[in-house]
Amino acid sequence: MVGYLLRRLLWLVPTLLGITVVVFVVMAAAPGGISAATLVEGQNLEPEAKQALTEYYNRLYGLDQPLTVQYLRWLNHISPLGWESDESGALTGWPTFKTPDLGVSFRYGRPVADLLAERVPVTVLLNLLSAPIIYLGAIAIGVAAAARRGSRFDHLSSLLLLVLWSAPPMLVGVLLIGFFASAEYWHWFPTGGLSTREALDAPFWPVTPSFGAWLLLFVLPLATTGLFVAAARRSKRAGLRHPVVAGLVGLAVGLLLVRVTVPILAPGFLFDRIWHLILPVVTLSYGGIAFLAKLTRASLLEHLAADFTRTARAKGVPEQVVLWRHVFRNSLLPLITVAASLLPSLIAGSVIVETLFSIDGMGRLAVEAVQTRDRELVLSLTLISGLLTLIGYLVADIAYAVADPRVRYEG
Amino acid sequence: MKGDVTHNTLLRRIAGMGGAVRFALVWLGLLATVAAWAPLLANSLPLWVERADGRWAFPLFAQFTAEDVAWWVGWWSAVVLLRWRRISAARRLVIGLGVVALTWGIASALLKPSPLVVYDAWRQAERAGEVRHALWAPIPYSPKDYLRDYGVTALEPPLAAIPERWHWLGTDDQGGDVASRMIHASRIALSIGFIATGVALVIGVTIGAAMGYFAGWIDLIGMRLVEIFEAVPTLFLLLTFVAFFERSLPLMMVIIGLTAWPGYARYTRAEFLRLRGIEFVQGAIASGLPMRSVLFRHMLPNAVAPLAVAAAFGVASAILAEATLSFLGLGLVDEPSWGQMLNQAVKSAAFNWWLALFPGGAILMTVLAYNLLGEALRDALDPRLERNGR
Repeated sequence: MVGYLLRRLLWLVPTLLGITVVVFVVMAAAPGGISAATLVEGQNLEPEAKQALTEYYNRLYGLDQPLTVQYLRWLNHISPLGWESDESGALTGWPTFKTPDLGVSFRYGRPVADLLAERVPVTVLLNLLSAPIIYLGAIAIGVAAAARRGSRFDHLSSLLLLVLWSAPPMLVGVLLIGFFASAEYWHWFPTGGLSTREALDAPFWPVTPSFGAWLLLFVLPLATTGLFVAAARRSKRAGLRHPVVAGLVGLAVGLLLVRVTVPILAPGFLFDRIWHLILPVVTLSYGGIAFLAKLTRASLLEHLAADFTRTARAKGVPEQVVLWRHVFRNSLLPLITVAASLLPSLIAGSVIVETLFSIDGMGRLAVEAVQTRDRELVLSLTLISGLLTLIGYLVADIAYAVADPRVRYEG
Repeated sequence: MKGDVTHNTLLRRIAGMGGAVRFALVWLGLLATVAAWAPLLANSLPLWVERADGRWAFPLFAQFTAEDVAWWVGWWSAVVLLRWRRISAARRLVIGLGVVALTWGIASALLKPSPLVVYDAWRQAERAGEVRHALWAPIPYSPKDYLRDYGVTALEPPLAAIPERWHWLGTDDQGGDVASRMIHASRIALSIGFIATGVALVIGVTIGAAMGYFAGWIDLIGMRLVEIFEAVPTLFLLLTFVAFFERSLPLMMVIIGLTAWPGYARYTRAEFLRLRGIEFVQGAIASGLPMRSVLFRHMLPNAVAPLAVAAAFGVASAILAEATLSFLGLGLVDEPSWGQMLNQAVKSAAFNWWLALFPGGAILMTVLAYNLLGEALRDALDPRLERNGR
């Protein structure tokens, strides 16, 4: 296992280099490509200033040199082991360990590393929130549909999942903004951004007149949720017995009670952020939920018909235990396989979501970077998203071995 | 019963699989029909005009482009070939493509539509009383006709009561008729889906076949290439391609195809690795057949099943890719596209629901149709799944 992982980690480097070569070649092969002239073009400058700027760009990025030299130069800059360059751009002495330098963005005139440090956490936050929601939602729906195969819930959810799976995120996002955020219809959510201006200076938690009221903020929703779940467990009628649904209803009732009874002076940073994140996260995660729930259902059905399931039932194992411990555990593998491709699709999804909801994240930065032909930025973004993708594959491999002891990576 | 099974073609088997698949086939057929007849369905130029002095004119047909003719002939040949069951599906496909290519070539040599069309010329003429009779298209607006002669017409909701004009699906931000733009945009969606997937299939199958057949170090290098292309986030690569190259339809098809091939290469490789050890392939090699015959005549037909399923899903994602690019403002310039219209729905201060619902709905239905088709193909080609499904 360790040997395999080490080998995979070593393969990361050439693969990442390959990715950047592909993107570099695409940019270089484009008509016009990237040269100091195209960067200076369009700016309203005196001829002398233009000349000076051209020379400046050439010196800074080596744009007047052959393409291979340009790429190797970029590679030298970003690698932790390489040559330092002096004022004139010439390489000096022996290769040494140095801090990797991602270069300076053409368009923003700022170090790419600074831009990434601002933007990448936003996208990672969106993806980290969406991934568990996708898995929990998909497993809940998929297991429920498979356990009651052929029921009305199964048919309805199958149809709905199929439609959701095919619905483009642009459409869903636009509809969500249009109906839930625009002033014309229900203005429940903000149309974009991650925070309101005031919330940035506000304290983290909501501000209430007294400590008692502040406690109520949390006690009330918890109490109603617990109450509803307990009531659902006690209920005799089959239709009312679902604890998850009851819990969600209880939570909603509790929040509504809070809204009515507790005087809130300021929503605070946390709730403002959550309020801003709801629509983007929904847009980012519904497609994954639909796809994974279909997969979960299919995988579960396969194992529900298996011999070991029949054995478990025959020896009198309770149905819930059969479902979760015997069938579900064995159905996990395809879900883990798909986890590897979840990360790339989430990164692609965040391009759309961030553009739509005006969130300043990596995806939006990527659109701006390619539109302004910002070479250093495009290369660094490719590197980062490629790295995230490959890490996703690696994590899936590890999870695979953890979930199924039969999986061996040796030899 | 035995005869039934052998004569059941794949298409008929799929069509018999249930309501969802039938919906998919009907929707795609409808879309293809609308795309083929688009210039006759929505056009600012009348089909036939009788001038005040009694002379006739056919303005719409005078403006027919080679593309229009090729779509139209393609539609007719599809109708004929689908009913003509005497020859194999592959041969029918080749004949259909040949006919379309031939008409395209001839038509582009013969037809000389003027590059500049004055969309309101005949409307103005009718108003001025220079036209005695005119036969208009059902939707008398071209996709790029921004109705300048009517003043400001932007963002009118569907079926708004406006004198002289009638827009079934409203107007867009430029003042163009949404219904007309949607009809013409179906051409882009359909052709991008097919040709981009075709490009991806050709690249993927060639590389995958080489990897699977030769194995060894070719396989090793090929798989690294596949891994690299799989690890590049597709949308990033597409964005880079589109932003750095000119925006044109053929280029966009090739680019989307170039980013989609690794999956097909993987499937082909896996199948070829399996097939190369089997006797009939060994026999073909031993009998001295040329490599191209072994690869594409003996091995490829046996590897078609997973490719066909992947291709159906691939068409859906190619259509989605084009819509996404257009939505991000990196699509074709000035050409009607569903994604571009969807983008306009929330651009202005108000929410223009008709610009979200209709183009977005069209993308949804088309993607859904291809996904359903892909699932049906998978069920039809995978007997193990079929048994479990029953």
